[in-house]
Amino acid sequence: MKKTLSTGLRTTTILVSMVVGVVAIMLFCFITIFLDRYRSAMVQSAQTSTAQAVAQVSNTVGNYLGDMNQAMELVEQSMWEEVEGRDELLSAFLKFRPDVVAVTSYSREGELLDCWSLGREPREEIFQNLSFDLEKARDYLGAYMTAPHVETIFEGYYPWVVTMTAPLTQAGEAAWVSLDLSFSSISSYISNVSIGQRGYCFLMDEEGNIVYHPQQQLLYSGLKAENTPALATLADGAYADDTVIYCITSVEGSDWRIVGVSYVDELVNRNVHEMIRLSFLLAGVLLAAALLTSWLLSHLLGRPLRGLAAAMESFETDADHFTYRPVGGTREVRELSASFGHMVLRIQQLMTTVREEEINLRKTELKALQAQINPHFLYNTLDSIAWMCEQGRNADAVKMVHALARLFRISISRGHELIPIEKEIEHAESYLQIQKYRYKNQFTYEFDVEPECLSYYCNKITLQPIIENAINHGLDLLVEEGHIEVRVYQQGEDILFCVQDNGVGMTSQQIESIMQHGPHDRTGIGIKNVNDRLKIYFGKNYGLHITSEPDVGTCVEIRMPKIREGDYEGK
Amino acid sequence: MKGSKRAALGVVLALCCLCACSSKGISASRHSVALVAKSTQTEFWLSVFAGAEAAATEYNLDLSIMGPETEEDFETQNRMVAQAVEDGAEAVVFSAIDFENNASAIDEASQKGVSIVAIDSSVDSQAVSTYIGTDNYAAGRMAAQAALDRVDGDLEVGIVNYDISSANGQERERGAVDLLKESGRANVAAVINTLAQAESAREDTIALLEENPQINVLLAFNEPTSVGAAWAVEDLDRSEDIFLVGFDSNVITVDGLQEGSVDALVVQNPYAMGYLGVESAYKLLSGQGGSLESTVDTSTQIVDRENLFTMDSQKALFAFEQHLN
Repeated sequence: MKKTLSTGLRTTTILVSMVVGVVAIMLFCFITIFLDRYRSAMVQSAQTSTAQAVAQVSNTVGNYLGDMNQAMELVEQSMWEEVEGRDELLSAFLKFRPDVVAVTSYSREGELLDCWSLGREPREEIFQNLSFDLEKARDYLGAYMTAPHVETIFEGYYPWVVTMTAPLTQAGEAAWVSLDLSFSSISSYISNVSIGQRGYCFLMDEEGNIVYHPQQQLLYSGLKAENTPALATLADGAYADDTVIYCITSVEGSDWRIVGVSYVDELVNRNVHEMIRLSFLLAGVLLAAALLTSWLLSHLLGRPLRGLAAAMESFETDADHFTYRPVGGTREVRELSASFGHMVLRIQQLMTTVREEEINLRKTELKALQAQINPHFLYNTLDSIAWMCEQGRNADAVKMVHALARLFRISISRGHELIPIEKEIEHAESYLQIQKYRYKNQFTYEFDVEPECLSYYCNKITLQPIIENAINHGLDLLVEEGHIEVRVYQQGEDILFCVQDNGVGMTSQQIESIMQHGPHDRTGIGIKNVNDRLKIYFGKNYGLHITSEPDVGTCVEIRMPKIREGDYEGK
Repeated sequence: MKGSKRAALGVVLALCCLCACSSKGISASRHSVALVAKSTQTEFWLSVFAGAEAAATEYNLDLSIMGPETEEDFETQNRMVAQAVEDGAEAVVFSAIDFENNASAIDEASQKGVSIVAIDSSVDSQAVSTYIGTDNYAAGRMAAQAALDRVDGDLEVGIVNYDISSANGQERERGAVDLLKESGRANVAAVINTLAQAESAREDTIALLEENPQINVLLAFNEPTSVGAAWAVEDLDRSEDIFLVGFDSNVITVDGLQEGSVDALVVQNPYAMGYLGVESAYKLLSGQGGSLESTVDTSTQIVDRENLFTMDSQKALFAFEQHLN
């Protein structure tokens, strides 16, 4: 029973952990799927934002170049004018366009003819002019544009510029005109573009040479590198790898391309990590909530049920002394508990009733037995009396008849179970008297009774069966004269009767057999019945105790409480 | 009923924890970094600042830049370091004017838990986590080599150096002198230590050249002394017979290169110093200090008349940023 109980509990535990496990796995799956989706969405949005930033840069650079073309047209137009008008126009143009660093014209041989610049004169000896390359100018039929370079024709002034050179078709000394436009607006614009915290843009040409990079100095010193050859082969668009998102856009009207670089780590991973953290935290909370709920459920249902089960178990082992304490919990459990309580009371009541009935039955049975007189005894006794009369031993016969009469009177005692000890002694003595005659004085007997005991009560016919046993089993087979001593004395709250003989004694098996079984061959009260009766009346602690030694004798001790008149009348 | 109340309480508590955690996770504080330079005037330092600011933007740092008026004023530097620490700087990117006399201030800052990154010129302190800058000894040798390669015959060398207590100047001088000695055809005629200001360098160099007319090679070891030396050579009209090797990029020395008064420039990479200095500070503050090397050599290159306007030299000599305004 106990085993099944614990297996049941284990099943609950397994069930709970299974549910929690399934919930955990499902949560994990959901989170994984969600995070995957979230990450791809984040990558997408990072690519989009990079692409937008790059498109904006591309527009700005495109505008810059378009602006340059416009400016070049103006310059070309002004070149048509006469010398004075031209100077006037160009100086107005330079004032109007402060981002134009210089306008220069060159002869067919590539010599610098004129230079217009706001407030500056070119060096007398120009070491190297990066704004004009004769060979390149001859190669190109139309206008062309250089990569950004340093303006080198002035003293102490080295701005970064982009040069546009156009051939002049009209007759005149000047064959080419160059326009140097400051690059700083673009460079600072590109430098200030930031995509996320660390992302940036740079400019490269179609071959992958870097035109402008916000961190040029780190690049040329080898502290930073851009994989431009690989980027040059890519078409316009966004490319994401594990760490970096590249976004490439060509600038309209030139061979320049804008490359936007942004970091996955920063734009995506940080958000994803935050999301992962949040998700797992949420999952943890949910799991904790699930565990808490299951714990609470087990607390609300399981524990009271276990309590109920334990109560049932203890009821099972000892129904008599079980007192039921109600178990709390949910309504169902309380109802169950109340029903069990009722049941316990009912069962206990039934048990008491059954036991009482059983005792009554036994008492009735015993009373019936007491009422009976062993017919052999009666027949033998009467036979002895008759024989005495025949011999003319009238006095002895009278004595025997008196003793027999006393025996019967006390046996009946008007139906009372309990009689004064005095009467019981009288009864025993009458019996012994009769037997002594019958056995022709083969034994002697003696009474040793404490006078205080006489007024207490005892069950009737307690001593007689024991004396009968002593005579039949102990003295009958004895060769020499037997002796029976009956002692009655107090011991604390109890009264002890002791019947001692000097007969053949009994083995322990015999003692056991006498205590276990009733008389087989005869009617009348056996030793077992005496014992049972005392126990029924006074409880386990009272009854018979036999000590015997073969060839020495037997001592039967009867213990019963001190009873006064009326004490046990109810029983 | 009692149980469900308790459950509700538990859930509420858990949610509170969640909120607290997430709000703590989202707010990230900006680290504060101070850059204490030797000067705030020269193009070299402006370029350093440009790099530093680029890195500060990239790594989301609070960067404050400061430096004394003159490149000799280590006391002001010490005060600035202390002030920066007081103002809550968590890392100091530092270029020491005086290798020894700046040490105490740096040690003090370090004791207050401030991370130290040295750029350009180091300081005599164990607190320095990493040095980022030119390998000054090699740069000195480079300057001497430039002269040895381009001048035939015997070399009578005059050295125009700045503050004698500055570590990098002395290292450069040592490198140059070592190589000159090794060459066997060079003699160091005189060494002067002048203020790191173009005007005083000019006067001292004129005095040096007048005193030692045999000098045919001049080595100047930083930007102001180079400018001063170039002016001096121009003033004395000795562009032709004096080979001047200067340091760093400046419009005046670049003009001088074209005109002849300057013959070669050892160009450092100040932008990289500033950028990497601040980047290293960030790494230190964000717990990635383990990945830092104790010395990072920012490149140096020789620019002379032949390669003056190649694309690489242009990029090395002329920073974009300085033309922004």
